[in-house]
Amino acid sequence: MESLNTRIRYLWIAQWVILAAVFGIALAAVDQWIVPVPTAVLGGVVAFAVLLGAAYAIRLYQVWQFELQSDALYLERGVITFVETAVPFVRVQHVDTQFGPIERALGLSSVVVYTAGSRNADVRIPGLTPDRARELQDTLRDLAVESETEDAV
Amino acid sequence: MNRLHPLSAVTYAVQYGFLWLWLPVFLVLVLSGVFDPVSPAWFPVAAPIGFLFGTLYGVVYYYRFGYAVTTDTVDVSSGVVARRSREIPYGRIQNVDIRQSVFQRLLELATVSIETAGGGTTEATLYFVSEEEANRLQREIRRRTAEAKGRRRERTRQRRQSADSATASDEPTEDAAVDADAERAGDDAPSPSVDDETGEREPPADPEQTFEPDSPTYSRKQRLFDLAPRELLLYSFTSFRPAAVAAVLFVFFLATESILEFFVAASQPFGGPADLDTGNTGSYGILTIVSAIISVLVTYLLSVAYTFATYYDFQLGRVGDDFVYERGLLQRYSGSIPAEKVQSVTVTDNPVQRLIEYAGLWVETAGYGPESNGGSQSAVPLAQQGRVYTFTENLTDVETPTFRSPPPVARRRYLVRYSLVAAAFVAVAFGVAYTTPLENWYFAAVVFLAVPLAAHLRYVHIAYYVGEDHIVIRSGFWRRRTTVVPYYRVQTVSVRRSIFQRRLGIASVVVDTASSRSFFWSSTTIYDIDLEDARAVQRTSRKRLQSSLRERAEADDIGISVDFT
Repeated sequence: MESLNTRIRYLWIAQWVILAAVFGIALAAVDQWIVPVPTAVLGGVVAFAVLLGAAYAIRLYQVWQFELQSDALYLERGVITFVETAVPFVRVQHVDTQFGPIERALGLSSVVVYTAGSRNADVRIPGLTPDRARELQDTLRDLAVESETEDAV
Repeated sequence: MNRLHPLSAVTYAVQYGFLWLWLPVFLVLVLSGVFDPVSPAWFPVAAPIGFLFGTLYGVVYYYRFGYAVTTDTVDVSSGVVARRSREIPYGRIQNVDIRQSVFQRLLELATVSIETAGGGTTEATLYFVSEEEANRLQREIRRRTAEAKGRRRERTRQRRQSADSATASDEPTEDAAVDADAERAGDDAPSPSVDDETGEREPPADPEQTFEPDSPTYSRKQRLFDLAPRELLLYSFTSFRPAAVAAVLFVFFLATESILEFFVAASQPFGGPADLDTGNTGSYGILTIVSAIISVLVTYLLSVAYTFATYYDFQLGRVGDDFVYERGLLQRYSGSIPAEKVQSVTVTDNPVQRLIEYAGLWVETAGYGPESNGGSQSAVPLAQQGRVYTFTENLTDVETPTFRSPPPVARRRYLVRYSLVAAAFVAVAFGVAYTTPLENWYFAAVVFLAVPLAAHLRYVHIAYYVGEDHIVIRSGFWRRRTTVVPYYRVQTVSVRRSIFQRRLGIASVVVDTASSRSFFWSSTTIYDIDLEDARAVQRTSRKRLQSSLRERAEADDIGISVDFT
């Protein structure tokens, strides 16, 4: 089983910080227009959200694992609900590598695997180094092409 | 990597320019309301800056967009700050569309979009390239897709040859296949008797009559099922359409006053109030009860009428490899269900239908295009249970399932869950009593009596069967669904465990297929079985997906038996 790059924790924490900041702005708006909110409460709520997010991010990093097995891509993830998913290579429609602004700054990249399914139709493996992501994309593409059948659906 | 047509840089620049114009305007508007130093007077500066950056972004976007047609895949990469590079294997490409607007035709430009199966979105859009390049791309991709298909056939042939020469290694699978055949033969034996019964009950379904050479539909359309008047009436009266509630509510909002007057008039003979303003607690109570009874009755009758009109004269037939259906009283609907697009088959029934031993059959298809949107269609709205099961077995070749149940610990989970729901209900009742003159909120605690029954009913209706060729999943009390999924239709298999499930050592298995119903029907899930069993189901599904795909490639047939009757 392969784990994600350790820097993914910073990405997830950063996402939580942004979320907490938006929440803080919303609270500030409530303070301004509806009911006065004490600054201590505002700061406390935002700090709590950030701490909670950090704990969540670290735990998520600990449980996130994936593996290329003989017939399928196998993933394990989830803090509240732990999910073990098998994506057979025959079902892979196409493969992306993606990275957003924060991922780019952290030198990270994601691989996204698309299937024709209705749920879990896109499976994302975040927190890979760009080289590893590229390599994984190539491998998955080759495996998908190799295992092609008449009907992908 | 190729670039798009240079003119698209201009379009992108203009598009992003106007899009980004709004970003600083919106930010200033929101922030000026919250923080004092930000002022709306910044608008004249903020807007042009947004436009300028948008334009720049559009131009950079053009330079950072690339596409390439390689040996194995079509590659598209895009994005300025966030980047995405996508590789689409030729074997997965369903179609390549070229579109031209009037403006594009004038300038000899075109938009190319590449689509694969599944998902509603277009996988790659080249907006836009020159007409010449568009045609070249379409030709090139078509050629390479054909090549990929050729290679695939070649591989299948080689595999078959090698399988012939090395049968010794395949013995276990062959044994399994023989077992499956034996089981199927066992299934076939009793079916003729059922068919005879069917023939008696349903003259149009009789194959002899359909194959009469004089019949205009001979060799063109084979009739499989007609909804008999009795079945139509039973279906109308035993099913309920949520649309009826919406219709009643809509009418109520349109004519609230006259309807309220009618309710008052209707409740007066039973001791209701003289009008809405004068009355005591007792007469208002009677008014409420009478209005509730009338509303429920009207909604139900509307639902019955709606179902009756929708499924009036339902006919299912077969033309070539497609199933075709026709239905409707006021407006006739007809549609087709392509047999090779069938993903899963579901038998549905509600408590009333179970009581009279009737059930319905639904077919789930995938794939999209102008004609087939996918989704679930009714193949048999309602028929006797035994007949529906025979249909299902003939349609899918499924073995007669021997169901397994989740462990009793699951029932405890539902007990806790429904207790929480009941507690929430009582809490709401308390809240209502607290804010209104109503008293005796604790009478609401009566709902706790229903909790054990509800938990038990949910528990006993969960079942699953892991067969040789299919997995059968059943759940639900009010609308019980028994879904048959052939292994070769399985997309992904997930084992899910919430924190509560982990504590009890149980898990749910989600078997995903390529269908588009996820919004209304949750995807097929086996709820709350032992973790070890769940993992075994996942392993088995994966293994049998591979073996069934190999078998299908070798057999080279479409897999679904269309011998329906």
